Amino acid sequence: MNEKRRYLPLKSTKELKRTMGRYYAFSKYHRFWGKPLGRKLAWVTSGAPVELLRAFKIHPVYPEQYGAICSTNKATAALCQAAEGAGYSQDLCSYARSHIGSVLRPDLAPMQGLPKPDLLVACNNICGTVLKWYEALARHFNVPLLVLDTPFLAGNLTEHAKAYVVEQLKGMVSSLEEITGRKLDERELGKQMGRSAEITTLWRDIRRLCRARPSPLNAPDLFIHMAPIVVLRGAPQGTAYYRKLKQEVSQRAAAGQGALEKEKVRLVWDNIAIWPRLFGFFRLFSERGACFVTDTYTGGWAMEISQGDPLESLAATYTEVFLNRSPEFRARQLIELIRDYNADGFVMHSNRSCKPYSLVQEVIRKRVTRETGVPGLMIEADMADPRAYAEEPVRNRVQAFLESLE
Amino acid sequence: MTQEIGGVDIGSLTTKVVLIDGKGEVLGRARARSGYAGREVAMRLTAGLLAELGLSREQVAAAVATGYGRITYEADREVSEITCQARGIAHLFGAARTIIDIGGQDSKVIRLLPGGKVADFAMNEKCAAGTGRFLEVMAGALEVPLEEMGRLALSARGAASISSVCTVFAESEVISHVSAGMPKPDVLAGVCDAVSARVAAMTSRTGVEPELVFTGGVARNQGVVAALSRQLGPLLVPQEPEITAALGAALIARGLSERGTGR
Repeated sequence: MNEKRRYLPLKSTKELKRTMGRYYAFSKYHRFWGKPLGRKLAWVTSGAPVELLRAFKIHPVYPEQYGAICSTNKATAALCQAAEGAGYSQDLCSYARSHIGSVLRPDLAPMQGLPKPDLLVACNNICGTVLKWYEALARHFNVPLLVLDTPFLAGNLTEHAKAYVVEQLKGMVSSLEEITGRKLDERELGKQMGRSAEITTLWRDIRRLCRARPSPLNAPDLFIHMAPIVVLRGAPQGTAYYRKLKQEVSQRAAAGQGALEKEKVRLVWDNIAIWPRLFGFFRLFSERGACFVTDTYTGGWAMEISQGDPLESLAATYTEVFLNRSPEFRARQLIELIRDYNADGFVMHSNRSCKPYSLVQEVIRKRVTRETGVPGLMIEADMADPRAYAEEPVRNRVQAFLESLE
Repeated sequence: MTQEIGGVDIGSLTTKVVLIDGKGEVLGRARARSGYAGREVAMRLTAGLLAELGLSREQVAAAVATGYGRITYEADREVSEITCQARGIAHLFGAARTIIDIGGQDSKVIRLLPGGKVADFAMNEKCAAGTGRFLEVMAGALEVPLEEMGRLALSARGAASISSVCTVFAESEVISHVSAGMPKPDVLAGVCDAVSARVAAMTSRTGVEPELVFTGGVARNQGVVAALSRQLGPLLVPQEPEITAALGAALIARGLSERGTGR
């Protein structure tokens, strides 16, 4: 029952570290190359239309991903306390708190914090918190903040909503022209859209390979190897990395090689990872032969980017983000993952930080079980703040859940 | 051929040991406070029980451990108390489909499939409200012996309104009710209602299907039994609600020994 199962490491991990190391070094030394080349540095939310920024030669940096890095580096608690000391509530998102903490106390932060921004770009397709978070940053650094407001989709994207977002994108183009001193090059934007489509297609293909039994990847692999799709979406280094990863995962799938030595149970994960306990937590499952073959979170970056009018395509892509959609849509998505990946169960992380992701989970859990007959477990934790994680109750629930699947 | 089988439940507050025979009949049971060394308590209880029954340790064919201390105890297998509780209750009440288990620091709702397999469960999250510990704190604040609590609550004419959100805040609510001159039984009835409300809210996650069984140490408290049945309908309560998880553990151990995977 409790025998340790061997976990198959990915050879690509070395290349991943090199790719991400280069990106962060490049970002850190932006002050040396950015000015002479006339290239601005922007802090952007994970759901910002980065293709447009890249078309203006802007270098994007992602505080949310940095929040995950702080957490895996065990810096989050101290950074959150710094932000809480400055008056930010403990109920705020832990990415926001730890990032604000890194601004206030770079001495406590990995890489001494992120390189200072020339501008900020926030899109509320993932949550409303980013608006106030980025407003606080804009005041602190006294830099321009561009906001893209994507209306919540109760059903499908309407023409009206799309027109509303396109109109804002046009406004964003004028602001970016002013900030960068460049004119929008439509051909360049088209090229960036094409590159993004290429990298998201690769990510989608890699994820689909996990339909194989045994699955060539487990959720921690997806969580770790998603880094480039977040920060290097549309950058050639990112695309080059996923070509290599796809090759390795394809070989595994073809050889019938699983991420776990002996896959007994196939599960689907819902919500952001528990970064401070990423491996320890997933080990509770892998040591009992349970593999997370897919998830809803890293799937958020496998979007299809249409090749029509660039601004319309951007409006659709970024408004149709799954977190901006109804519980019905989210339930359907989970049901399809369970069917397509032949899963025996699903686990939902009720993430204290991420309200839009977590609030509707109980409704979704019931619907998914009713429609698929597959049971779902709810785990309470936080994506970054280790203070919200209690090992013993979690172990108890996980064990009981896996016993019920035996 | 020895047929005695053991189940050990090292809970957060109390440790329970049950010995059964090959037919699932209970031969003996024992319990004591877990304290800081639940494993030692479990070993002492087992040794005492074996001596009482005139048995030696070698005669125990298999043992399963459950509860928070399950990992520390040397058994053939450690099984979560949710699975054990389901097994124990299904053995005692074949028609049971929903279990409410209120223990020391956990309260849980377990929904069963026919046959005793777990279909779904919900547990309290990082909070002592709605647990045995909550009742202990309130008994302490009111200077009422824990065993007296339920009986006194039943004699209440009214019930204090007590928030079910936080043990520490609820304790100060209790104190302010007392200083406002409210009779103890009414405050106690309010405490029982608060526990019951908290647990009843959990059933909305899993649903409730009859028969509904209420177990765990708190099921001894008549006040909570009354409050829960007002909210959820008729309840069955095992004769010895503290030991049902340990009984389930012993029944699972019996399965292991029959399959030859015991000791």
